Amino acid sequence: MTRPSLQILALAAVIAAALVAPRVFAGGVAQNLAILSLLYAVVASNWDLTLGYSGIFNFAHVAFFGVAAYVSAIATIKLGVPVWWDLLLGVAVVAALSGLTAILALRQRGIYVALVTFALTQLCVALVNSQKDITGGPVGLVGLPDLAIGGYAFGGHPEAYFYTAEALLILSTLFLRWLATSDFGLSLIALRDFEDYAVSRGVPAVRQRVLAIVASSVFTSLAGGVYAHYLIVAAPDVFSFSLTTLLLSMVLVGGAASIYGPVIAAVVLTVGSEQLAALGVVRYMIIAVLIVLTLRFLPGGVSSLWRSGWALRWRGGADAPSMTYVETGAEAEKAP
Amino acid sequence: MGPIIISGLVSGSLYALVAAGLSLVWGALGVFNFAHGALLMMGAYIAWTVASSSALGAGIAAGVVASVVFMAIAGVVLYFLLVRPWIGKPGAELSVIMTTIAGGIFIENLFLTIYGGRLKVLDQIVVGTIHVAGTAIQYQDLLAILLAPALLGGLALLLTHNKTGLAVRAVAQNPDAARLVGISVERIYIVTFAVSAVLAGVSGVMLGGLFNLIPSMGADPLLRAFIVVVFGGLGSLTGTIVGAYVVGMIEAFSSFYIGIYWTPVVLFVVLIVILTVRPTGLMGQAT
Repeated sequence: MTRPSLQILALAAVIAAALVAPRVFAGGVAQNLAILSLLYAVVASNWDLTLGYSGIFNFAHVAFFGVAAYVSAIATIKLGVPVWWDLLLGVAVVAALSGLTAILALRQRGIYVALVTFALTQLCVALVNSQKDITGGPVGLVGLPDLAIGGYAFGGHPEAYFYTAEALLILSTLFLRWLATSDFGLSLIALRDFEDYAVSRGVPAVRQRVLAIVASSVFTSLAGGVYAHYLIVAAPDVFSFSLTTLLLSMVLVGGAASIYGPVIAAVVLTVGSEQLAALGVVRYMIIAVLIVLTLRFLPGGVSSLWRSGWALRWRGGADAPSMTYVETGAEAEKAP
Repeated sequence: MGPIIISGLVSGSLYALVAAGLSLVWGALGVFNFAHGALLMMGAYIAWTVASSSALGAGIAAGVVASVVFMAIAGVVLYFLLVRPWIGKPGAELSVIMTTIAGGIFIENLFLTIYGGRLKVLDQIVVGTIHVAGTAIQYQDLLAILLAPALLGGLALLLTHNKTGLAVRAVAQNPDAARLVGISVERIYIVTFAVSAVLAGVSGVMLGGLFNLIPSMGADPLLRAFIVVVFGGLGSLTGTIVGAYVVGMIEAFSSFYIGIYWTPVVLFVVLIVILTVRPTGLMGQAT
């Protein structure tokens, strides 16, 4: 079987599973977990585009998700924007914000990018907490209207949110795969692995990286908006350190620069972390240990296991994507 | 005006202590310790455990000594668990960000499990108030203002005159050449991490005397330290100290004149201005 027809077959299988799944997990805790893990999968796999493929230390990714949730809440509750339009507004606002963040942060290199994006996220929290009149302060903004198509409100039919989240994840994954294998994606990998050479061959480093961050924000902000509608509330914990850590563990444990790895890890870790809910905060300690162990013993994440097997069988291991982060110029120039 | 300047000086001193530890580790090892805020919290809690009458009750002096000793050990343990395995490997910079974030989360939640989320009160090291030029200053504030320059000045002297201090700078400049002239690079890394952790612990004890202890108390100072090092330039001790006092003053004045809720916005704007005007920071070198 040729690879394109195999891909179409795989897509058909995924869509079939997507149609069946909401009927299997038809209610209660299982349904709620499924919807959350699908939305987290969107956020984590999009983060993989910047963190994994581009090697940009963008820690503002969770803020993109959070800001979109707040845009949806403020637009629908305070400004009376009709539902669905608020999601688009969220995408537009976050795209602008992410572009601005990227332009500012990418004036610097390496570690500074992490510091600046981290600081920006924390300042988002401070802003949300301090501007009570607009954001509801620490309590959050409660009472987002339900998503609805015609007269069909999703609130009475939670499976509609299930289908929405699935559609979002499938579209997002197709988008990411397409992007990662396009010339644009290749230029990002080239910049990550060998910046000086890529630049000398005419790849505009800053422009490509800014575009990568903006591209990674699109489906992330849609997920943020849907998340807020689903939970009926936008609260400051969308920016929280524990959510950042959980999402980070999805990218790392799943395997950076693989797209599918974070998607699968998102489902496993969301469900797993919920199973451990009885342990309270101890589960965050377990996740922390998991991150360190993964980085120590399986730096390519779980997906590197199947990929090494896969690459050997299908392609002779020749063109499996590089998993090594070759240092960007920052480090190279530091050494004399 | 007096109280604002005092408040700015106190914040600046504490930020300088926190940020100096980060900057020192960055200079020597080229990695960034995101668990630094958790170390700060740890120092405060250890001091509380030894000092407080509701725990061991040995008094604040014993608490400070215990905290310093414990933090030195904690720094070394942290180095071996979260930093050493990745040093010299490709992508060490990013890996160590992740491992130290995970380490910070671990420590914070460990202390939350052990001590609970309720506020704890740490005795002040010195109690009382003094009047200087019509402004009342708590002794603890005064101590912070005096301690930071003393400790950091001492650190600067060590780095320029002491053999180990010189070795730290040699390793920072060129680890391979340092190894060639017989410096044990590994030992320098360990010393650097221990000193950095002690600085974090001391800032924690000082902060604990001024505010209260909660397991998340390290998050805010760490964020300020980030802004400080971006402002001052990572790896430059002078830049870090100047940056710390500038950020402390900006915070104090904007809290007073614009309102405490707008302070984050002001810091945000300052950060953006620095990034636009001078991306490498006050004294940072182009990377």
